[in-house]
Amino acid sequence: MSHEGTLLIIIALLPFVGALVPGVMIRAGRTACAWFTAVPTALALIMLLILAPDVMRGEVIQAELQWMPQLGLSASFFLDGLGLLFACMITGVGLLIILYARFYLSGDDPMGQFYTYLLLFQGAMLGIVLSDNILLLLIFWELTSLSSFLLIGYWKHLPEGRQGAKMALTVTGAGGLAMIAGMLILGNIVGSYNLTDILQAGDQIKASEWYLPALILILLGVFTKSAQFPFHFWLPHAMAAPTPVSAYLHSATMVKAGVFLMARMWPALAGTDAWFYIVATTGLITMVMGALIALFKDDLKALLAFSTVSHLGLLTMLLGFGTQAAAVAAVFHIINHLTFKAALFMTAGIIDHEAHTRDIKRLGGLRHLMPITFLIGTVAALSMAGIPLFNGFLSKEMMLEEASHTKWLDSYYVVPVLATFGALLSVAYSFRFISHVFLGPVRDDYPSNPHDPPAGMWLAPALLCTLVIVIGVAPFLADGIVRAAASAVTGAELDPHLKIWHGVTPALWMSIIAVLGGLVLLLLHRPLDKAWIATPRPEAKAIFDALIMSVVALMRRITDATHNGAISRYLAIFTVASVALGWIAYSGSGLSAPTRELLPVPIVIAVGWVMLVVATVSVVVMHHHRFRALVLIGIIGLSISAGFVYLSAPDLALTQISVETVTIMLLLLALHFLPKVTPAESSGAMRFRDGIIALAAGGGVGALAYAFLMRDIETISDYHIANSYEGGGGTNVVNVILVDFRGYDTFGEIIVLGIAGLVIYALMHALLDGPAARRLKNTDYTQDRSRDRHPLMMVVVTRVLMPIAVVVGIYIFLRGHNQPGGGFVAGLVIAIALLMQYMASGFAWTQERKKIEYHTMIGLGVVIAALTGVGSWLAGRPFLTSAYTYVHLPPIEEFELATAMLFDLGVFLTVLGAVMLMLYSLSRIARSAGETVNEAAMDYDPGEHVEDAKGGT
Amino acid sequence: MLGSDLTVILPEIILAVYAMLALIGAVYTIKDGAASMLVWITSALFLAVAVWIGLNGAGTNVAFNGMFVDDGFARFSKVVILVSAAAVLLMSEGYMARRGLLKFEYPLLIALAVVGMMMMVSAGDLMALYMGVELQSLSLYVVAALRRDSLKSTEAGLKYFVLGALSSGLLLYGASLVYGYSGTTLFSGIIQTASEGQVSLGLLFGLVFLISGLAFKVSAVPFHMWTPDVYEGSPTPVTAFFATAPKVAAMALFARVLHDAFGDAVRDWSQVIALLSVLSMFLGAIAAIGQRDIKRLMAFSSIAHMGYALMGLAAGTAFGVQAMLIYMAIYVTMNVGTFAFILSMSRDGQPVSNIGSLNMYSKREPGKALAMLVLLFSLAGVPPLVGFFGKLYVLRAAYEAGLAWLAIAGVIASVIGAFYYLRIVFYMYFGEERDDALDKGRSPILYGMLMASAIIMVAGVVNLFGIESVAAAAAATLVE
Repeated sequence: MSHEGTLLIIIALLPFVGALVPGVMIRAGRTACAWFTAVPTALALIMLLILAPDVMRGEVIQAELQWMPQLGLSASFFLDGLGLLFACMITGVGLLIILYARFYLSGDDPMGQFYTYLLLFQGAMLGIVLSDNILLLLIFWELTSLSSFLLIGYWKHLPEGRQGAKMALTVTGAGGLAMIAGMLILGNIVGSYNLTDILQAGDQIKASEWYLPALILILLGVFTKSAQFPFHFWLPHAMAAPTPVSAYLHSATMVKAGVFLMARMWPALAGTDAWFYIVATTGLITMVMGALIALFKDDLKALLAFSTVSHLGLLTMLLGFGTQAAAVAAVFHIINHLTFKAALFMTAGIIDHEAHTRDIKRLGGLRHLMPITFLIGTVAALSMAGIPLFNGFLSKEMMLEEASHTKWLDSYYVVPVLATFGALLSVAYSFRFISHVFLGPVRDDYPSNPHDPPAGMWLAPALLCTLVIVIGVAPFLADGIVRAAASAVTGAELDPHLKIWHGVTPALWMSIIAVLGGLVLLLLHRPLDKAWIATPRPEAKAIFDALIMSVVALMRRITDATHNGAISRYLAIFTVASVALGWIAYSGSGLSAPTRELLPVPIVIAVGWVMLVVATVSVVVMHHHRFRALVLIGIIGLSISAGFVYLSAPDLALTQISVETVTIMLLLLALHFLPKVTPAESSGAMRFRDGIIALAAGGGVGALAYAFLMRDIETISDYHIANSYEGGGGTNVVNVILVDFRGYDTFGEIIVLGIAGLVIYALMHALLDGPAARRLKNTDYTQDRSRDRHPLMMVVVTRVLMPIAVVVGIYIFLRGHNQPGGGFVAGLVIAIALLMQYMASGFAWTQERKKIEYHTMIGLGVVIAALTGVGSWLAGRPFLTSAYTYVHLPPIEEFELATAMLFDLGVFLTVLGAVMLMLYSLSRIARSAGETVNEAAMDYDPGEHVEDAKGGT
Repeated sequence: MLGSDLTVILPEIILAVYAMLALIGAVYTIKDGAASMLVWITSALFLAVAVWIGLNGAGTNVAFNGMFVDDGFARFSKVVILVSAAAVLLMSEGYMARRGLLKFEYPLLIALAVVGMMMMVSAGDLMALYMGVELQSLSLYVVAALRRDSLKSTEAGLKYFVLGALSSGLLLYGASLVYGYSGTTLFSGIIQTASEGQVSLGLLFGLVFLISGLAFKVSAVPFHMWTPDVYEGSPTPVTAFFATAPKVAAMALFARVLHDAFGDAVRDWSQVIALLSVLSMFLGAIAAIGQRDIKRLMAFSSIAHMGYALMGLAAGTAFGVQAMLIYMAIYVTMNVGTFAFILSMSRDGQPVSNIGSLNMYSKREPGKALAMLVLLFSLAGVPPLVGFFGKLYVLRAAYEAGLAWLAIAGVIASVIGAFYYLRIVFYMYFGEERDDALDKGRSPILYGMLMASAIIMVAGVVNLFGIESVAAAAAATLVE
């Protein structure tokens, strides 16, 4: 990197490094603090001036540091004429502001903080104008928003300042974010994020189909920043900030950033119709409107703010014209506007500082009291009005010249007439500034005693006024910098010669009209002001606030309506979304033709299917009556089991039936303690909606299943069928899967089942201490209580069934490995047998005959299963590998013994234990609900009765 | 064989064993008396494991026949998960203790959830995936309802559970379809069946339902409905936890499934992910505008952020995954800081989550207000704070993958979203004076976390602490 490059990087970094100092140095005093701010700024300016000769010769100084290469982001800077102009403006005016602020701020203001923010802002601005990478530029761009927010919000105690800062940040911040997208598109079109590359790829960019979106997004950022219509409203409201801030941000720097970027991007974006009509039109509207409003503002700073809006519009319009001469005019006017506007802001600040008011209606006659201020203010205002011999005149003349031959749509009159009108208004408000503030009689009702401030305060604006006059009289002095900057803007070698006298041109006539018209307007100001106040007009800020309010209200309504906390709604949205995604998947690829025939449907099956459907629908219809619903669920379960049998899945059928029976029985017992009906909570329409959703989801799943069943696919079944005998020693594939192939899963599952049983037990324990228990105690069961709780017939039948059921259970257990059955089903069957005993004979009676604790049983089951698994380790095989052998024990036929059976025993015990523990838990509830415990097996002992009868005879 | 398998998953085993032993130990001894100590031990353990994984891991190690994968991607995600979990756990101690919520189960449930998350990001198989997801979810259901005497908290837990169960069901449905049509649950096997242009309809359905299930876990719209209620209802430290580590885990799992199992069928899922992304970004931004409760606001904010992370995923490229990882790391850091602040919001000792209570906060505590300002700007993605770089990464990833519309939509959503972040800043700096001031925060941990996070947001602009290349390497292990 060259020396110049290094210097450039130092310039860019200096303010940031410097920003650390003033905040710390405030203890050393206010003047020291100001010095510490001034030094880095001055250093930066000096270094810029060292580089200036090279740049003026047309060289471009570049420097690059790697930053985040993957993102296309590098800390690369470059300095050309345009950058030099702006950088000098930023640092130069910065110095003046530092001086001015030192005297402007009072002793109570935390000055260290102020200077820190100021340097931070200065650094961000320098970054914008020096960046050679558009992403880097974006970063600095938003950093200005951020630091300006801190600066504007510096006076937190002023309520109007808060609103201003809010709006300024909302508008400019949002615009900057929109610009990110524009810059990304731009970088993508060119294939580089380097500004120098982009500027050379103008044709490529303009030819791209993404040109317009990029242009609009970038302009959004620009217009918000430079307060162009319709985003002009934030700028005046940001004026509540301390005046040094207004002077710096809103005349010289921040608002000019937008103009800078338009100038910077000029070679890449300008020259198209879209550019002309969007940029020039916006500029024109802003210029006229800003000037019009400024004329009727009574607050000095508001007047200047709207005047700034107007001048920014002027600059935007010039850049929008897209011609080289217009670009020269724009560059020149940037310099001129800076000088007179910064001076004016400082003047306004001095007046506010001394007279304690900025209200024009309360001022006047200050000429005698503040002669120096009057001189400064008048020079600057005359320049703003565009009076010859002041620099404002020259650039305005050039602007009018350009406007005079610009065609808008098909009209040659629109632009010149409006431009002249804008200039006329500008003259009017400038003169108003002079006459209403300084001229006229001295008043005796100023809020304070106005007099000229100390030199420290007027020195800065005085310097600027000197510039105003020097350039105004000898414009050729500015030739060099204007040439360098304008060449940089247009990307072509330009050689403008700035002159005072151009001869009698249309522009001169327009100027004369403007000045005369302005004077007339000033004379008519009083009646016009009344009319202005009387006319209703849209107040942009009010519209903005109302818009925000209504948007917030609307958003809130939408959000609250969708996120109302009702889980039914969430479930509905969830389901609809899933169905929709399924539909997307389906419509994405379509379905191949079915490869299978439909099986014949025998009449019996069809009837069974219809019954299943009817039962299902009935559950939905009758679910408020819980008992009936339970019965119907039982029916459905049985139908499904029958379906499994029909579809050659006896294992599933067996499991389904036993599970169904156990759960229905347990549910039946639990139902006893619950309300008998479910209250209807949703309206009819809601239920209709839910019904539709349910149909869509269920139909979707059904259709999916149907679609898959109609097609031949490779499934994993073949593997299991092929390997279950050889690998697992069983012909019942389902059981082999459970205890062998997926033995580990089963092992996990029985543990879960055991835990579930234990948890139910534990929860019941907790439940019986809580408020639920009190509710239970108060339940009245007398109404629906049977008078015969343990009927004789049932007791007898269950006793008889008991051994049979146990034998069936053992049988199912033993055959499990090869035939439908297994430990799980066996456990359930035995559990059913025991459940029946409990139901028939009462809990206490049965409990007495129980030998093993259920907890123990669960534990035992898990341990047996685990040990079986560990056993295979001893044989040097992985966990749970099964081994089997054939045993021949006469007189029984040869049978098979597999370790899997031992494992199955574990399953059996766990299942049985868990189910019984659940039953036990239910009975505990019953007892706490006031259920009595029977000692005998039957309510009515026939034996006793017979003896009674005997005794009677 | 088994020995080497166990070596690979040793970090998970250590954490799991620790959690179980500590659980039993505490039950049989001093119970809640041990809670405070357990919080510290658990956090320390998290950090130790994070350091161990971060420094020690190298290359790609596969265990259990490919069911568990320990690669650069997994290690990156695990370190983020562990560190953020440790941070949130430390932050929660004071808050929970003051409100009598500090049960000894809390740190241990978090530990188990973290084990689940580590399992998720290392899953190489649908089974491992489901196991991780459920271990995580079940622990989270419980912590969501930790404040059992509060109706809101229990309702949050229940809602989360019911909806979570539905999403798990959907996930399983998808997984079973995938298994049925590819004949394997291993990602490495699925990818052979699912290559570009010939994804069968069955697999496609499986993929879509898998995505739906995972979308619930990352709370992407329209599967996000639980998020605001759960965030609002849960105790604030739990909300902070929800907003950080689980999101990283779910997002990483998302990336792993899509790239490891369906990496050759990018076209088939990219549009779906892009759709979820754009919906999340916009709903998150729009719905947050009207919120008055900062926890609820953060819920919508996290939804929007997940939209951005999904944008990186939608790109379907290695750069996209890298962008997603960076985004998540930044997101987590910002959220830790923000929640440290929210945790410190209280009035008369009672937790406050009303945004209005922040009026003129800057006047009373300028330091904290400034830190919060930095964080909020960063959350909004305003340059030059670190949050901007995260956004820039995903935007570029999407843009370069040909999803320009998505990138532009993302920018527009970020403009909308900036509004509500800035609104909080305005309240703090330019609100109205109110008498009901918030208490002065006393906790040094919360203060430290807030400040550290804010400083990272500023200092990180130098080189993002070198995370860039690490994430690139991590993404490269996932997407070849």
